[in-house]
Formats: sequence, C-alpha cells, structure tokens
Amino acid sequence: MAYKYCVAECWGKGFITHSDSSKFQVSGFPGNVWQIPADNQDANLWVNKVAGTFKTKAEAQAIVDVEITAAQAAWDALPDAQKQEPMNRQRPTAIVLE
Amino acid sequence: MTTYYGLYGQKVQYLASDPTDVQIGQVWYNSTSATLKVRQESTVNAWASGGNLNTARNDVAGAGTQTAALGFSGYGPATSSASEAYNGTSWTNTPSLNTARLAAGGMGTQTAAIIAGGENAGYTTQTESWNGSSWTALSSPSNLGNPRAQVAACGIQTSALLFGGTKTTPGETFTEKWNGSAWASTGSLNTGRRDLAGTGTQTAALAFGGAGYDSATESFNGTSWTSVNSMNTARRGLGGGGTQTSAIGFGGSTGSVTAATELWNGTSWTNNPTGLGTARTGVSQNFGTQSSSLAAGGSPVTAATEEWNTILISNKTVTVS
Repeated sequence: MAYKYCVAECWGKGFITHSDSSKFQVSGFPGNVWQIPADNQDANLWVNKVAGTFKTKAEAQAIVDVEITAAQAAWDALPDAQKQEPMNRQRPTAIVLE
Repeated sequence: MTTYYGLYGQKVQYLASDPTDVQIGQVWYNSTSATLKVRQESTVNAWASGGNLNTARNDVAGAGTQTAALGFSGYGPATSSASEAYNGTSWTNTPSLNTARLAAGGMGTQTAAIIAGGENAGYTTQTESWNGSSWTALSSPSNLGNPRAQVAACGIQTSALLFGGTKTTPGETFTEKWNGSAWASTGSLNTGRRDLAGTGTQTAALAFGGAGYDSATESFNGTSWTSVNSMNTARRGLGGGGTQTSAIGFGGSTGSVTAATELWNGTSWTNNPTGLGTARTGVSQNFGTQSSSLAAGGSPVTAATEEWNTILISNKTVTVS
C-alpha cells in the first residue's frame, strides 16, 4: 500500500475519531509524524481537520530519525541500573517508514 | 446504458446535507461533500484518540472502565507514584500512591482499587488500597507472597487475582488470589512468563502474551489454569481488557513495538483489521471491556490515550471509479 505523511500535534480527544479509524488507518510515529494511506479522500480530509502539514517520505523519515537519535542518546546516558528492565524496556530502535 | 432510474424507477436525491429520515438501502447524493451515499448499518471496531495523561509514562496499572478509569504508577523517566482519573474525556490528577513503582498489578474500579507488586529499587510485595479519595498502604498479611513486577492482574478490590511476573527469566508461574485483606497462593500458570496481559475475575480469568514474545493463552477457573488457543501475534508488554470469554489484546512488542489488536471470543483470537494509532509497548492494562477499552501511556514514553469502541456505521460513502 502507498502512504502519505504529515506532521500534526495530537491534542487528545477528537484528534483521531472512531469514524476516522473506521475509514482508514492512521499510524503515529515519533516527532508527531502520522502515516495515512495515499489516494484516500477521507484521510486527506483528516489531515485538513488536524491542521497537518504534509511531508514527503524523506522529510518524515528525517523527523523520525532525529527523534529516535535523541531518544537513543538519552537512553545511553542513563545509569546502568536504569537501563535494566522493567524500568526501561529497551533502547529505542530505528524506525524505517514504509 | 443502465441507469439508477431505469433500475429503481426513481432518481437519486440531490441534497445539501444527509437526510435524517432514511431507510436502509436508500441512496442519495450529498452536494456539499460531493459524495454519493447509501444508508446501511454495520458495526466497526476502531481506536480513537482520548485525552492525554498528565504524566507521560509506561507500565501504568489500571482499574475501571473507559469512561471511569484510574491509572496509577508507571515509569517515565523515573518510577512514578502518579495517580490519575479518566472521565471519558480527560485525565485529572488524584492523590499519589504511597510507594512509587512500575509494572505493578492494578485491580478494581475508579473508586475502589488496589495495586500490588511492582518495581521500586527492587521488587515489592506491598499492596495499597484506593477508596476513591486516597491510597492507603496496607501491611502484613496484605503483602504478596512473592515479590515481583511485570505481572498481570484482574478482579475487584475485594476479590482479585495476580499472576505471572518476574524475579527470573522468562518469568514466574506464581498465581495469588486476594480476598480483600490477604493474598494466598493458588494454581500456577502452565507457562511461566512476565510482561503478560490478563483480564477477567478471580474465578474466571484469562492470561495472554508475555516475555519472551509469547502467544500463549491460558484460562483460569478459580482453581487451575488451562492452556487454550494462542494469540496470532506473539508479543510482550501488551494491554488487555474484557472478560474470560470476551477479551481484547493490543499493542506490545514483537521485538519492535506493534499496534496490532486482537479479539478473543472465548475460543480463539481474531486479528482486527486496524490497530492502535500509536504502536507502543508497556501499555496500560485492565481497562474496560472487549467493546469499550482504553490504552493509556506506553513505551516509547508517551502520554497518548486511545479509546477502543465498537461503533455503528450508518451512512456509507459510495466510492466509484
């Protein structure tokens, strides 16, 4: 499936509604990046509703990478005792957008 | 060429807005949204955004329903004593736990809950009780028999069950039941594990998933656990809700975080076509039912809350090409 990407800040209740989710899958990633199906009118209307800014896949990937890199650096800086489960589940891993 | 008029003897209505009094099967054109629509009635299971937690954290213990929930403890990025109440729209801070902890078992309702076990500079056996206004630390004989974290729990404040968890890898088979004042050992899980999910009651519980990346599901009858059909996606750190015969499992980690959502009908698990909006592990447990559940927090550390519901779809847009 082909996807499009946008950046939008989730404000909580009403950001994604059940009606939205029943029409298309929205998938969230670090950096307020959201993945939606391409060529889907309802998804495009949702991006408009949440005042999202469309990003190319490369731009979205760059945003996610920055967030993951920062999270990994924060994890690496933790004392060894805090790197153990269950306190910290795992070092954040890279995410490759589809 | 075949026309709608030719088939049905009437034209498609051209309307500025969706009509209010329509019959199932009725077709009309909405000129405002430029869409052809048909009246149908079907149900869809879907997640939607809820109000964000005030304190972002993972491994939140939970109690209550989707519209009257209590989320407490967790980690993000320090062991947390935070306690928050959800009203179906937003989270409100409530008085904190006496002992900060994470990956503990939460049981009960928004106004009558308990927390037991968890991690706080070592595994704890301590139990605390919530009366709707404050948390009270209980003393022996209210302590768990086996200190551990990453447990699953279910039931109510006066009759609960806590099972699995870890002091060792891959996890424990210990199961303990709570009578309102003390914990007592009961039948052990067949598969020892931690980071699992659980739901149901003290005498009719369900355990599923767990570390490492387990799909095993077991059913408890008040005395012993029986292995039943496994989940489709093996995972740990997942959330769950519902009953022994009608449950939901969602999120977790398969090695990387997943949004996958599965439904249990008492016999087998079925994948839902859509998953959580934000994939995560260490997600909250024990909120609501199979048709009305809640996912709060998780790892990577987030404040995001999502609400799961079975909804009625009434007017469907017709897509033509």
